Formats: sequence, C-alpha cells, structure tokens
Amino acid sequence: MKVSEIMNSKVMSTTPLATTKEAARQMHDIHVGCLTVMDGDQLVGILTDRDICCKVTAKGRDAGWTKVHEIMTREVTTCFADQTIEEATDIMMKAHIRRLAVVDRNNKINGFLSVDDLARASHQLASHVLESSTTYH
Amino acid sequence: MKVRDIMTTRVESVKPTTVLRHAARRMSEFNVGSMPVVDDNGKLLGIITDRDISVYAIAMGHDPQSTEVQKVMTKDVITCIADMDLADAAALMKNKHIRRLAVMDNDLLAGFLSVDDLARASYDLAGAVLEAATPIH
Repeated sequence: MKVSEIMNSKVMSTTPLATTKEAARQMHDIHVGCLTVMDGDQLVGILTDRDICCKVTAKGRDAGWTKVHEIMTREVTTCFADQTIEEATDIMMKAHIRRLAVVDRNNKINGFLSVDDLARASHQLASHVLESSTTYH
Repeated sequence: MKVRDIMTTRVESVKPTTVLRHAARRMSEFNVGSMPVVDDNGKLLGIITDRDISVYAIAMGHDPQSTEVQKVMTKDVITCIADMDLADAAALMKNKHIRRLAVMDNDLLAGFLSVDDLARASYDLAGAVLEAATPIH
C-alpha cells in the first residue's frame, strides 16, 4: 500500500514571522496540533502544539512576542507519497516520531502521515511506531 | 492480561495550584505529554496536557506565569481499575475516543495506561484505540 492512499491531505500553514500566540490560536480554532511553516511556497519548518509548550511557555517566553521561526523545527522529516507504508513506518521508527510530512518529488508538501492514519491500514505498523516513539503520551 | 501488568506506574504529577509555566517545564523535563493533577492527599482532581497549556491557555489569553493548572485542566478524567482486563480497558478507550486512562487502585491513582503501553502488549488493541481516537493532526 502507498502512503498516498492513507495520508491526510489537509495541510494547514503559518508563516515564519507570525507570533506563536497567533499560531496557538489557529491550532485551537481548527483543532490541529501541527502547522507547516511556509515562506511563500517553500516549506521552511514545522510547528507543533508541544513546541509551544516546551519552547515558549516552559522557558517563560511571551507567546505574543516569540515568532514562529524562533522555535519551529527546521529539519522536517519527510516521506514521498508514492513510497510504501512499510517504508514510511521505517522512517518514523528511526526518527522516533509519530508523524511525517508527505512531499512530492519537487519537494512540495502534499499532506501528513500520522500514526493514526497508519492504524487504519495496519495495526502492526502503527504499534511499531508507538513502541519506538520517545515521548510518552 | 490485566491493566496492572503493562501500565506505567512512574507518574509525575502537579498540584492544582502549580502555575502553567512550571507545569510546562516539568512536562518538557520528563518527556511526557500529560500529567495528573493531584491534591495534597493524593486525590486525583484532573489531567493537564501539553496542548491544554500551549494551545488552549494561550488562545484564551491566560498568563502562564500566574494561571494555575486547575483553571485549564480537564476535570472529567476517564479511569479504569488496575485489575481490569486489558481488552475491557481498550474498549473503554475506544468508546470514549481517547488514548489514555488513569488507573485507580483502592481509590488512589496507581498509574496510567496509554495506547503506547497497549502497543507493547497487543498490536490489535492499540491499533483499534488509535483508529477510534479523536484525531489531532
């Protein structure tokens, strides 16, 4: 099975110069935990709700002043839409993460593949990802 | 297999009067996404997650330096008992669309059972819980 068959194509984005407070409001309003950070049509990073908790609130920084580019993750772990779900699982396991950005061969973002999406295709692959994940949820 | 056989017993907790900034720092330090909120007698009052602290509190305009955990925590905690069968606990998670249960033993908080714990015991139970969980992408 290919990643494209089970991935989530809904991609919500913010910009590097948005404040983390604006990003938090956006995550709240549209019920997502992860935003892509786009500079024009270039993917420059990923911002999660946990990033805001650990890098803004925990550090005593003001979300109204801290910009997205200051705390975003720049090295985004990706897979291709035409890769198999076994290959995508392997990438998640090696990086100890639960979510991948799905890009096309021009490095344009097409969506996300999360461990929840994987579970709908294979309980075994999803469980492997959970077992290798480093953060306890 | 019973819940007590695979649950996580090392549980870091916060007090209801802990301020959000401090709770965020502890979640970051302990690499967890949620913590139980307990009073001085060990009574479970609620659960606080990294998402409550970042997204919800910031979107609502709460100051993390002065807002107490009890203001943004989830008070209706879904619990199971340590002697419950694993399959029954997984069914409870599925029905409630959640990924984590507080485990009680003699009315005291004994630990947590998360979908991560389930994955180590049964791929199918963990997969089914993930499929039913409310998506946060």
